[in-house]
Amino acid sequence: MPECDNPLWPCAMTGAASCLAGFEGMTVVIHGSSGCYYYPTTLLHAPLEGTFILEKEIIFGSEDRLREVIGNLSGSGKRIAVITTCVPAILGEDIRSMLEEHDVLLVDSPGFSGDIETGYRKALAMLAPSVDPATPGVNIDGVCLFDPFYCGNVLETQRLCAMASVPVGTIFSKDRLERVHHAAAFTLGTNEDFSYGVGQSLGGMLGFDQIRSSFIRIDEVIEGSDCGPVFAELDAQEERVVQGCDKFLHRYDPPSTAIFAGSSYARFAAETLTRYLDAEICCIGTRNVAGDSPFPMIEATSLSKVQDLIHIHHPNLIVGSSFERSVSGNAAFVGVIPPLRGQVRLYPTPLAGINGTLSFVEQVLNASIDKRP
Amino acid sequence: MPSNPLPVNSSRLGGCTLTGALSVTSHIRNTVTIIHGPKGCTHHNASLLHAICLDDDRMVMPALISTALAESEIIFGGEEALRTTIRHAAEQNIRALFVLSTCIVDTIGDDTCGVCAEEYGIPVIPIPTAGFLGGNFQDGMNNALIALADIPSPCPPNGGINLIGEMNLEYEVRENSAEITRLLSLLGLTVNLHFVHDITFSQLSLLGAARLNILRSPSLIPVGEYLRDRFGTPFIPTFPHGLSDTLAFLALVAVSCGIDGSAVIASEMARQDEMIARCSDLNRSPVILDRAHTGDDDLRAAGELAARLGLSPCSDGNGLRLPVGSAIGTDGTRRMLHRWRRAIHA
Repeated sequence: MPECDNPLWPCAMTGAASCLAGFEGMTVVIHGSSGCYYYPTTLLHAPLEGTFILEKEIIFGSEDRLREVIGNLSGSGKRIAVITTCVPAILGEDIRSMLEEHDVLLVDSPGFSGDIETGYRKALAMLAPSVDPATPGVNIDGVCLFDPFYCGNVLETQRLCAMASVPVGTIFSKDRLERVHHAAAFTLGTNEDFSYGVGQSLGGMLGFDQIRSSFIRIDEVIEGSDCGPVFAELDAQEERVVQGCDKFLHRYDPPSTAIFAGSSYARFAAETLTRYLDAEICCIGTRNVAGDSPFPMIEATSLSKVQDLIHIHHPNLIVGSSFERSVSGNAAFVGVIPPLRGQVRLYPTPLAGINGTLSFVEQVLNASIDKRP
Repeated sequence: MPSNPLPVNSSRLGGCTLTGALSVTSHIRNTVTIIHGPKGCTHHNASLLHAICLDDDRMVMPALISTALAESEIIFGGEEALRTTIRHAAEQNIRALFVLSTCIVDTIGDDTCGVCAEEYGIPVIPIPTAGFLGGNFQDGMNNALIALADIPSPCPPNGGINLIGEMNLEYEVRENSAEITRLLSLLGLTVNLHFVHDITFSQLSLLGAARLNILRSPSLIPVGEYLRDRFGTPFIPTFPHGLSDTLAFLALVAVSCGIDGSAVIASEMARQDEMIARCSDLNRSPVILDRAHTGDDDLRAAGELAARLGLSPCSDGNGLRLPVGSAIGTDGTRRMLHRWRRAIHA
């Protein structure tokens, strides 16, 4: 069936906005109607501009309106990016030549062209990131404003890099715009679903194993690094996780778990729960195309697919978004992907890094204990 | 911040007809709404409605189906995708299907109404939306209500009152509804139908039975006029905002229904006076009435309330900022009063 009921993942236009709005020094303009503007604005909590086009601009052309908006925004010293929505994308207007007197980055990323990851990568490609051999340290990759853990992931990765005396290069995509072209030669990933691959990857930051091997690589390739403190903390905190999970298993059976997430976070959740809680991963439904994984994954991008999987497997722990929580019945729930509605989130909680694993396991244990009879 | 947030451009900020129509159709149980367009349009709205559901734990997440148009359908047309989606959806155990179009399918010229007119075994009701090409959020809402008004036949009056166009995306929609229901009950009147808020498809048959329609806001006057022409039901153009407006509303409803409302109005006035007297400690002046996200009616109600309390609005920006919210009826005004007290404390 081509149709999709209650689609759970945003469109490519939102993806492009979530990338570009993360760069300080960039003004992002959504070229479309107010309806298309409101969603990324409320989702990303970032300042976006819009052309708010009306029917007359579709009939008579949007050049005057685009010029009006871009003219008002120019002169601020910021680079302007224009993201096209569905209707302007098919009108056939030569937007680039309309705005040739301005240094505008035009990102053709209408909603029908794909999902959020498609738009995110397309926008970042338009910025043409590059390595500057003079920039020391490691970049942080996979940071997307759409991800509720992005801020915590950045802070946690910066903390661990500081412990290892490794400078942080460019953060993709939450940094000053000019740093896009001065990336370091090496990169740490925080969420592969939004990775771009600038510089040589030293590994990821999801889960103790990934962190350990990434910092072993850092020790090997980055001169002046001292990863001993990171390894010491890894050992100490992993022991705490082991003890906490062991205490849980004294009294309770491992959770039978259904995981719904982007493939990167899904794999992290599955590996962590299997390793420390001997959990049964009864199903993994991914929002995007599944990457390499030792766990079987299938795409689950509609609410009915999620309901079907939950109905078939009867998990007692569900990892996902508040969409999943709304159909989770009596199962324990832990949120790892947006939307995470219906809960107050003020603290920049990570999923990456040592604290990310601690936080995730802590939530799993507390949610599971709360749901025990 | 939106570009050009000037009054001259306010028409540009009116939102999407799709969201307006969905705010209506998603409140009719045992139906499904199909959104003919790319998946993203449906996701944006599903996410919004999901948030509303979490704020209102009595609401069930509505069934929205996207025809999920991709680049190939945008190039070659999406009518077959719509036809297939309707056929699949019609196999469910539902009473009716609503079909909402998006701006992109209007641009490529899909004949949405033509596809809906084919036989599927259940009513398939197209609602003119077309995203921003069909107008704004309010137009979408009005179009949906008018399309729904065509479904039921005229029926004998039952003496009840219809509430028309309650704002289902409003955080305090149930509280506002409860306040209007309370005011009507003071006059011995009951609500016949919430058109449309949390109803079943079969309840639509009651639409023509009311003696009076009360619109949520004057922007629904085209709907009120349509219902008057179709069923002969008179209408009052808005819910009351603030204290004196509430008393005037009671008087207007009483006259419209041929009831002597004088005792009820006197009693409600006494209730309001008592509420004001209890807040005599609210004497922090000067104050600023926060206009953000505020309609003129609520601002007027807030101004009246400030005057009753002896608070002096100032314009130099140095006063205590008081939030202005939806002040529907006496109870809505009382809730705003509590927020003002909170503003003084924190």
